[in-house]
Amino acid sequence: MREITLTDMERLGAFDEAERTFQMTEEAFRSFYELTARPVRVYLVRMTGDDRLADDLLQETYYRFLRANVAFSSDDHRRNYLFRIATNLVHDHRRKPFMEVPAAAIAEVPDAAAAAQAAERAARRLDLHRAMERLKPRERSMLWLAYAQGWSHEEIASAIGVKTASMKAMLHRARQRLVALLKNGERS
Amino acid sequence: MSAYDCPREQDVVNAVLGGRWPDRCDESLVAHAASCLTCREVAQVSMLLHEDVDHARIDVIVPAAGQIWWRAAVRARLESTHAAARPMTWMHGITGAIVIGAMLAVVTAVWPMIPELMLTIRTIGKDYLPSSEVASALAGGLRQSLLIGSIAAVLLILTPLALYFVLSDD
Repeated sequence: MREITLTDMERLGAFDEAERTFQMTEEAFRSFYELTARPVRVYLVRMTGDDRLADDLLQETYYRFLRANVAFSSDDHRRNYLFRIATNLVHDHRRKPFMEVPAAAIAEVPDAAAAAQAAERAARRLDLHRAMERLKPRERSMLWLAYAQGWSHEEIASAIGVKTASMKAMLHRARQRLVALLKNGERS
Repeated sequence: MSAYDCPREQDVVNAVLGGRWPDRCDESLVAHAASCLTCREVAQVSMLLHEDVDHARIDVIVPAAGQIWWRAAVRARLESTHAAARPMTWMHGITGAIVIGAMLAVVTAVWPMIPELMLTIRTIGKDYLPSSEVASALAGGLRQSLLIGSIAAVLLILTPLALYFVLSDD
């Protein structure tokens, strides 16, 4: 069977069809993407610990989002659905450890006071990363969605696929573990 | 309020993520957090994660929206093309099976008639040809030719079909 090339795709009107297949127009997608791509990419990198995998998952997340046959009631609902897809994809790929903080963060700061502050912030981030690395992938996702994205308990429960009451208990335990790990990190 | 959460937890998170914590938010919330272990922990974790997100967002590079859209469009088109071609692949398979079945049926039907045919040829040979040796040699030659012809026909039909199924993508 002959392979289909991009020229064929263009000839066949792939992009006109995309407008019909996808749940939003290209223009609407561009606006939505500008608002959401960075937080989703950061989330994916932090959850997978792999830049390349995060890029692949970002593409896959938006593809699945565009093909989803869902009637969104609000922008929040749309954004939450996107993160839900990303969370599910991350859980399918949960193999690699948490990403290390790049060491370049401190080097570029010119004056001493600012450099000290930057070093302190970088150290805090490093502690956070080390502590997060020791959590289970689901705990990482829950903490991120709750405290970095500001999702409600109901939204997280729905994204992770557990009951709200169970999620509250799980989130509580995850938070306590993280705080304990951070304290241990400070001591060491 | 359960053992796991506090009703003001979300307010603390919103204040931190909104950049209002602790100086530019409701004083009662800060006072509450000072006395509530859950909210204290929530504020600590949320501030750390918020700082991490802010830092990461400065460096993060994402592909252009047009590129994501374009790739998604191409993939959607390819998937729909494959989905549309699937019944055709099935039809090809069914047609191949029918052709093979029909061929086997014809061979099965014709096979018992071959000795009869040979006998007829031999009889004709006896009547018209100069000797019985010539007639039986002719009959043997015909039988061999028929066998070779059948094998060739089977190969000519089966080979392209086999190649088609081996080389097709699905």
